[in-house]
Amino acid sequence: MSEILGGFEQAVLLAIVRLGEGAYGRAILKEVEARAEREVAAGAVHATLVRLERKGLVASWLGPGTPIRGGRARRFYRLETNGVRALNDARAAVEHQWHGLEWPLKGTP
Amino acid sequence: MTAIATPPSWAEAVLRASLPCDDFESTSGDLLEHYRESAYPERGPRAADRWYVRQVLGFLWRGARLWAAIIAAGFLARTAFDWRLPTHDFHMRSATTTVLGIAIFLVVGFWAGARSGRVVAGPVLGLASAAVAASFSLLGAAILLAFCHDETTLTAIRGSGGLGEVFVLPLVAVLPGALLGAIGGALGVATRRLRLG
Repeated sequence: MSEILGGFEQAVLLAIVRLGEGAYGRAILKEVEARAEREVAAGAVHATLVRLERKGLVASWLGPGTPIRGGRARRFYRLETNGVRALNDARAAVEHQWHGLEWPLKGTP
Repeated sequence: MTAIATPPSWAEAVLRASLPCDDFESTSGDLLEHYRESAYPERGPRAADRWYVRQVLGFLWRGARLWAAIIAAGFLARTAFDWRLPTHDFHMRSATTTVLGIAIFLVVGFWAGARSGRVVAGPVLGLASAAVAASFSLLGAAILLAFCHDETTLTAIRGSGGLGEVFVLPLVAVLPGALLGAIGGALGVATRRLRLG
């Protein structure tokens, strides 16, 4: 059984998957905000990325900065094998819970 | 125009004090990029500054909340102890909790200084932890009082310094928290330098 992911952890991991090679801090923040359709605190994304890296679900490395960042380095992220497994398990768990139910649910009986 | 827009320098200093030094460059770069590319052009300078400050306070809150919870838990435990198990001689209890409080603020500053590599991180996190702890403590004491206000408890409260002490002490501890954080921060930075050679 792999790591059990929280909802926000899944959102951050899926953002990394969607962004591919362009997955760095600010791009991940924007992607999570776009999917959640609300403003998300940069600190929340940062803390989640640190936690996911400690759990061995993602790996990070520093890349070059750009002038708009004042030349400051970007930290890029990619999923590790454990991260892919955790996401697959999270999806399978949700599908298992929903198995046999019609979606969307009708109103209360 | 937006390429040279700059967030408040004090906020960036607080951000530097709130993060491990390895994280500062990339994280501050992310915030600066978002500030210049999105916040500033879409919201204007004042709202962009407010957005930036809000993000920085979020980082500070994440660094301070655990320490604040520990400090507030200690304060509330002592308060509950005094109210439910009163004594005639508070000297030992006061000495013990004072030393513990001093130790916690020194550790907070040490931790902040050692991870950020900056002495100023100590007073910043000490101040933030003490301020958040004061809020937690005042709220906790109010809840405690709401549940325990029988005559025996009220007598114990009067005998242990009164409600004034309970609701003022956490606020009085904010400044010493910053000062002790500064000492801890200096020790943390010195230890870090020794370790890194």
